[in-house]
Formats: sequence, structure tokens, C-alpha cells
Amino acid sequence: MEGKYRKSWIIGLIALIGFIILPFLAEGYWIRVVTSIFMYAIITAALNIIAGFAGYAAFGNIVFFGIGAYTTAMLMLRVGFYWWAGAIVGGILAAIYAILLGIPILRLRGHYFAIATLGINRATEQIVLDWGSFTGGGKGITLPLPQMEIQTFYAMIYFIMFGLLIFTVLVNAFIARSRLGYALRAIRDNEDAAEASGIFAPRCKIIAWAISAFITGITGGVFAYWFSFIEPATVFDIMIAVKAFVMMMLGGAGTVLGPVFGAFLIELISETVWGKFLTIHMLILGMIMMAVVILIPRGMIDLFRKKFSLSALLKNIKNQAV
Amino acid sequence: MVLLEGKGVSKAFGALRAVDAVDFFLQAGEILGLIGPNGAGKTTLVNLVTGIYPLTDGEIFFKGTKINGLKPARVSRLGVARTFQIVQPFPGMSVRENVVIGALFGKNGTGRSAKTALQEADRWIEFVHLQEYRHAAVDQINISFRKRMDLAKALAMGPEVLMLDEVMAGLNAKDIEETMTLIQRVNKDLKITILVIEHVMKAVMSLCHRVVVLHHGRKIADAAPRDIVRDDHVIEAYLGERYAKAQKGAE
Repeated sequence: MEGKYRKSWIIGLIALIGFIILPFLAEGYWIRVVTSIFMYAIITAALNIIAGFAGYAAFGNIVFFGIGAYTTAMLMLRVGFYWWAGAIVGGILAAIYAILLGIPILRLRGHYFAIATLGINRATEQIVLDWGSFTGGGKGITLPLPQMEIQTFYAMIYFIMFGLLIFTVLVNAFIARSRLGYALRAIRDNEDAAEASGIFAPRCKIIAWAISAFITGITGGVFAYWFSFIEPATVFDIMIAVKAFVMMMLGGAGTVLGPVFGAFLIELISETVWGKFLTIHMLILGMIMMAVVILIPRGMIDLFRKKFSLSALLKNIKNQAV
Repeated sequence: MVLLEGKGVSKAFGALRAVDAVDFFLQAGEILGLIGPNGAGKTTLVNLVTGIYPLTDGEIFFKGTKINGLKPARVSRLGVARTFQIVQPFPGMSVRENVVIGALFGKNGTGRSAKTALQEADRWIEFVHLQEYRHAAVDQINISFRKRMDLAKALAMGPEVLMLDEVMAGLNAKDIEETMTLIQRVNKDLKITILVIEHVMKAVMSLCHRVVVLHHGRKIADAAPRDIVRDDHVIEAYLGERYAKAQKGAE
């Protein structure tokens, strides 16, 4: 047991050092690719809190990304905030939004909650579109450009995303061991039994969704500053959330490192291979989703824990048939 | 002292009165049996006490405080725990994690860290003799073990009243004996007041201090086990002539 822990610590340390020195060695393109991988990993790990631990399929979670991005843009342009202050306020607003909406819609279970979150995402996007005089509407909006050399700027965003990713993983690790984590998993497994065991399910779900929203909101703010231009179609894009779901399920929903692992794998492949086949991209994503659900419903992390083997895969298929 | 009391408790599902103006009470320290034919309203009554269903009529008190209208989680935290007729485990968790949920969110759970709760869970897992299966997944253990796990979870909640909904259904003779011993220990050693819903009459007769009989949602008897088996209404509604004759023959 001890040796196993030591091994994962060493791997973690090597990865940490590797990612710290990478911007000093790699060229600009790779820095941007890895930054974008970090971003997807954060969104996926944040989604994992509500969808992985609590089992609530928040397909519209990307609404918080949009809220964070637009809050940052508006505060920088209309009030003159620093970008980072805008991003933090964006995170807080996203969390408040999650609490206010969570009170009614977290009473819904299963598919109904998923549908409600999709509706919220669409409705919020529509508000941004219609309020063109303030938000810039469908034409999008340009943020103040950073006053620094472009290489330094990309390196800075890289480290901010990296830091945010580490923060999000730590939040996941903390939740996994906490009272909240046990409550969320109990809710995921059997909500009625959870309530009969003394768990205040609505409260726990709202807290989980608010944490998820806060992290996703800040990430949206960093994204807005990074890209300097946002439009509703990009920051409220439901496909980001769908991709995050595939990443989470591939890596292992409800685990600490699984979602991050899934995000790295899919985003790396997506960037290097599928980028060249834009139209078939979605088809492949869908096929991965199906393969994951049938072959490794508990994700890659689970597969590695039990030692990777063909018989394990076959057993999963057999279980599906039952 | 009366721990739990119901006055005129009623529950209607549409035109069906599943529980109809039932008065009942639970003395501190006793084991009360709740028996009756299928559909008599036994489980519904437990669901009314635990707040799963709202009452149509009547009131329920726990230690003098009205508890009807409270959410299930709130009732549990006051010290009323239950097991389910069909065990309701958390399938994605191990036996130990299932039990720890009780230790974390039951009556004594508030403020308990996950670490101390795990130790508490281990205590109850040992109490029901499941230590060998501590780390097993729920779907790897049989129904008898699952029922004991459910009992350990309920005990980990630190209840004053424990309601056991057919813990012996589906068990073999040996497991029934073991479960009976466990229930007696819970009552005598841990001083927990118990309500048991049970069809295994042997268990009802030897465990219960008093028995309430429900039939079509109404209470038709409330007496000591010895008197219950001689009650004509109870024989007609539930026990049947054969059981009554066998009892007489045994005496």
C-alpha cells in the first residue's frame, strides 16, 4: 500500500515539475494547446463535483462559464476592474446564480434536471444576445488588450490555468474525504435512503452545484481575458459541456483524478488528430461516449486500479447485458 | 415514559385509507411488534413516522414534540432510525462506507469528521459481525448480510427508536436466530426502543413485549403476545385457524 502511494506521489511530482518548466522550453503553439487542456480539465473537474459525486447531470453547466466570461468583460469595460477581480466576481455571480436556480430545479431528479440546466443555459444566452446595448449582443465584445508582450501573456495565462487546475483538483480531493462528499455519493446512489439516513439532500446538492459554478465561472473569466474577444455562441456553447461529460466519464466520474485524466487524453487527441477532420469530430466523440459507457462505465481510473485486462472489459460488457 | 406516540394517524391514497385513525404508542425500552396481513398498512405507518409521506389526518409525537410535517432527514436526526423492507443500500459504496453514512448524518453525527465516523462505523460493523466484509461492495454480499449492514447503518445513527421493517424476511432459520439475538442485544444492552414489523411469528412471540395488529389500515388489537394469538379477530384476519390450533396443541 505504502509503495503504491509513493509511486503516485513521484508521478505527481514529475508531472508538476514538467508542467512548470514546459513554457520555458516549448514553442507558443504548444503552450496554448496545454493551456486549453488545463482549461478543459478544470471545467471537467468542476462538473465532476455535481455530476460525478452527486450524480446530477448538469449538461448546462457551461452557463457558468458564460456568466464568468461576460461578467469579466463587462466589469473591465464598463467599470474598469482588473481582469482578475472581474474573474473572481464572475465566479461569485455564477455561484449565486447556481444557488438561486438550484433551489427550484435541484428538486428535479434524473433527466428532468439535465433538461432544466439546458434550458437555463439557452435562456441566459438569449438574455446576453437581446441585451446588445450592454453586452454587445451576437456580434460579441472585445476586451481591453493586455499591456505586455504576447509571449509573456500566454505564459501567464498558462500558469493561471495550471494553478486553477491544481486548486480544482484539491477541492475535489477535499470533497471526496469530507462529510459533503459522503453525502453527495449517498445522494447519487439512493437519494431516498440518503434522506432517511439524515442527509439534507437539497442543501448538499445546492452547495455542490455552487462550488462547481464558482470554479467554472472563474475559468470563464480567465478565458475571456485570454481570448480578448467573446461572443455568446462561444462561451455558452453546449458542446463544451458535452465534451466535459465525455472526458469525465472516460476518466472516471466521481473520482478525484479521473476527470482530469480524461480531459488530458481527449483534448490531446482532439488537438493533434481530429482537428484535421472537423466534420467527423462529433461522430468520434459520440462513439467514444458509447464505448466508455459499455466498456468502462466506471472510467479508466477504475480500470487501472483493477489492473488493465481484456477480461475486465469483457466482464463489463457482460454486466451491461444483465 | 412514552417515546413515540401517534394520535388518530391516517393516510389516504385516493379513496384507499391505507392507515385509518390508528392510535399507538411506544414505551421507552420496549420491543413493540407490528403485525398484520400484507397491505394492512404496517410499512405505511412507519413511512408516516419517518416523514416519507405527509399525514392525511392525526398527529405523531416523539418525546412530546410533534414530528409530523418534518422532513425524513430531520426526523432521523432527532433519533428515529429505520431499516427498509427491501434493503436500500448505496450500491456504489463498500459496506463500511454504507455504514459510515449513518455515523455521519444520524443523531450524533453533527460535527463528526469522516475519520471519527469511520471508527464509529467499524464498531457497528463488528456489532453485526460483518467485519470480514467491511471493504466488500454491496453487490458482492448476500441478502442476509445486506440486511445486517442496513441494521449497522441504522445503529450508527445513534437512534433512540429503531424501526425494523421485516429484517427477517428471506432469511434462513439460522440467520433468523442470529438476527433475533442481535435485536435482543440492541434492546437490552444498548437500551434502544424497537418497533418490529414481522411475519415470522416465532420471532414476534419471543422478542416482543407487546404487539399491535393492523388490518385494512385499522388497529384491531394491542396486547401482550400471549393474548394476541388467542384474539378471535386476529386469528380471523391474520393468523388463521391452523396457527391457533397449533398454538393450543403446543400448550
